[in-house]
Amino acid sequence: MIESSELPPASLPSEDREAQIFWRARWQIGRAQLQQHFTTARLRTSLVLSLSLLFWSGLFALFYAGFDFIVKHVGPPGEHYHAQTVQFVFHLFFASLNVMLVFSAGIIIYGNLFHSPETRFLLTLPIRTERIVLHKFQEAVLFSSWGFFLLASPMMVAYGWVVGASWYYYALILPLIIAFVYIPCGIGSICCLFIVHKLPQMRRVIVGVAAISVIVFAFDSIWRTVSSNQARLFGKDWFEETLRRFGFTQEEWLPSSWLANGLLEAARQTPVAMIDASRFDLPVLQSCMYLALLISNALMCHLLTVAAGKRWLRSGFSSLDCRFVKARKARVSWLDRIANWILSPFPAPVRLLLVKDWRLLRRDPVQWSQFLIFFGLLGLYFLNVDRFNNPTSDISYITWLNMVSFLNLAVVGLILSTFTTRFIYPMLSLEGQRFWILGLLPIRRETIVWSKFVFAALGSWIPCSILILLSDLMLQVPLLVVLVHQLTTVLLCIGLAAIAVGLGATMPNFREPSPSKIAAGFGGTLNLVLSALYIIAIVVLTALPCHFYLIADRSSLRDSILNPQYLRLWLVAGTGMAIVVCAVATIVPLGRGLRAFRKLEFI
Amino acid sequence: MVSMIEFESVSRNYGTKVAVSDLNLEIARGELFALLGHNGAGKTTAIKMLVGLLQPAQGRVRVGGSDLVAQTREATKLIGYVPDQPFLYDKLSGREFLQFVAEMYGLDAHQVAAHMEREINRFGLAGFVDDLTESYSHGMKQRTVFAAALMHSPQVLVVDEPLVGLDPHSIRLVKDLLRREVERGLCVLMSTHTLTVAEEIADRIGVMYRSRLIFVGTVAELRERHKTGDQSLEAIYLQMMHDHELVGGARQNGMHAPDAAMLQDAAR
Repeated sequence: MIESSELPPASLPSEDREAQIFWRARWQIGRAQLQQHFTTARLRTSLVLSLSLLFWSGLFALFYAGFDFIVKHVGPPGEHYHAQTVQFVFHLFFASLNVMLVFSAGIIIYGNLFHSPETRFLLTLPIRTERIVLHKFQEAVLFSSWGFFLLASPMMVAYGWVVGASWYYYALILPLIIAFVYIPCGIGSICCLFIVHKLPQMRRVIVGVAAISVIVFAFDSIWRTVSSNQARLFGKDWFEETLRRFGFTQEEWLPSSWLANGLLEAARQTPVAMIDASRFDLPVLQSCMYLALLISNALMCHLLTVAAGKRWLRSGFSSLDCRFVKARKARVSWLDRIANWILSPFPAPVRLLLVKDWRLLRRDPVQWSQFLIFFGLLGLYFLNVDRFNNPTSDISYITWLNMVSFLNLAVVGLILSTFTTRFIYPMLSLEGQRFWILGLLPIRRETIVWSKFVFAALGSWIPCSILILLSDLMLQVPLLVVLVHQLTTVLLCIGLAAIAVGLGATMPNFREPSPSKIAAGFGGTLNLVLSALYIIAIVVLTALPCHFYLIADRSSLRDSILNPQYLRLWLVAGTGMAIVVCAVATIVPLGRGLRAFRKLEFI
Repeated sequence: MVSMIEFESVSRNYGTKVAVSDLNLEIARGELFALLGHNGAGKTTAIKMLVGLLQPAQGRVRVGGSDLVAQTREATKLIGYVPDQPFLYDKLSGREFLQFVAEMYGLDAHQVAAHMEREINRFGLAGFVDDLTESYSHGMKQRTVFAAALMHSPQVLVVDEPLVGLDPHSIRLVKDLLRREVERGLCVLMSTHTLTVAEEIADRIGVMYRSRLIFVGTVAELRERHKTGDQSLEAIYLQMMHDHELVGGARQNGMHAPDAAMLQDAAR
């Protein structure tokens, strides 16, 4: 071992050399992934790329139409109202993303640094601690910024296009985004490192402060909405109240304000006379000053993140790994008894499997907490939906009401589809690893598939139905719409559950223990796409006839296409068609899944 | 004897549960030390402190004279570590992984090439070393991790359950390799439940019981202490655990220490 030619080298790699080694490994990993995507997963890759492109184009069209509306109906660039409206949109948009980036970077860096086998491995090598943090921080920035880019770039390009911005506006978009993203990501990472470092001493304080902040924020926002005077839809009062309510997003110290101002300055049309009067008022210079501000703060965040990582990573990792995890006693709770009672109409084998799945869900906070967070946020949004005092005969008000209520329904469906993809689709694959016990039980294989379907459909119907009812109550929609919404919710829950369970049974992956990786595969992507198409089909089939039926007797078009008899038929036919689509979306994937699952051979 | 590994009054707790209590241990260059103990005895916690993953709540851990907390890089550069659950980058080939590890220890291109060939031959990796590691079986992963741990010719090798998942051929290979390297001056700390292997290749053994190191010495010394004649290490170990359970139970029931010790002798 200790032969002279094989003695360990005297010096470890320099900082630059360490960085090079990491970047080379990253390049090799990226290359291997790309090769795999384009050789073995071409369909999935092209599907993801096409959908991203479609999503980008859809957002671009939406923003283009919005900004075009502002230019035509609010005022052209340079006018006071135009500037006020566009500033409001930009500042609100980027301030929201700013907050989201802080949280997403914090969560990503937490997972990457403290729950990653890679970090566990790297910490045993003689690598500088700060290099490990930087390596993981760069990953967090990349993961966070691609989502930001996908959301923000269509808006930026659309605005530039509408106002006829100069070339430098487009040239500055990318550096402004990169410099901006670095700041909230750095803040999120530093907060994460600090919290983990201080966790043993401050656990109760942190949880308490977080819980109180959430309660105060939710209570405050709901109270403001409920207690505010109802204004006219899109009236002057509503506009001014909205500007006032979100005025905090235009605070000068916010990085999102620097980004918004940098972009708006670059898009500004310079009056020719101004160039001589004030050389420093050139839009490109003003924009570059905001860019410089962003870059200097981003560099500061970089330095602080590295310093925090160097100081807190190893101690934080150690204290987190050594925290005391109390053994949980498994016992039959009152929740299980209620579940058992609710499920009593089902045959015994199905009931037993359902109760088992319920217990697994109840005892896994990772699953139900995500469900709770997303549906809680949706509930908060529904409680904050503006209400107006327009007369009920106002056709534009009814249109707004119907549109928002059905959009809310679609949003609930889309969120549900992400959950069915993430949690329901991998369920049968995960059962494969426990098949040594399930396979030996005296039950038919189909029972396992059916139990998953019932679990998913029933489990999703109750919270979705309550959420939609909440939205309808806040918007004060007519009874007919409430009933249509509830029926649509049932159709969505049944169809989405069937698609997820059916595809999960048709394309199981018994080798992968991680549900998130199973969901990220081709089957999961297909499930997400089919679910989205199904939601669009069901919502359109029920929303359009319902909307036209409600405006029929109030519209000037009544005599031509909005004939009440014809609309009643359309309403019934639309609902019937939605039921047929639901039946097809349930029977086809579930039938295929049952057949495939029956023929499966387990290893 | 030059101590390569030193645990100096080391303690580590998980909340209120003590995982390692007042551990004092020195392992010399050219020595293979096997750490034995039941699940939860504190072996893995001790190893994690030794490789820099955990920091001791009290005491100090040194490798080659360098403190693991204050001089982490100096200490870890001397160590090769084979964990019980091997980590490899899925999308790197075995060769790329070995290169990554070797360069992190500061080997230059010439050394990387020479040492890589040595480890590929030694662990029989040639058939799959250029495939992505995601396609490897557990045994192939374990052999690659062994190779990576030895790429920089460490002075200390720490192995946690080294033989789990290996086929009989690979087990023989690892045992021979460890012995051979120890003869050349390597210091090895091995945690294992496979008592026959410990008996076969270890110079000294340490037995941990409920966070404490209750025995350090050779297998012969253990036999001598327990007056068990030619009994296997497995039989002695099980008897030892049984005795300590009895004494622990007696102490929990309020019996004084001398009485408990008498009970232990009686049980023997």
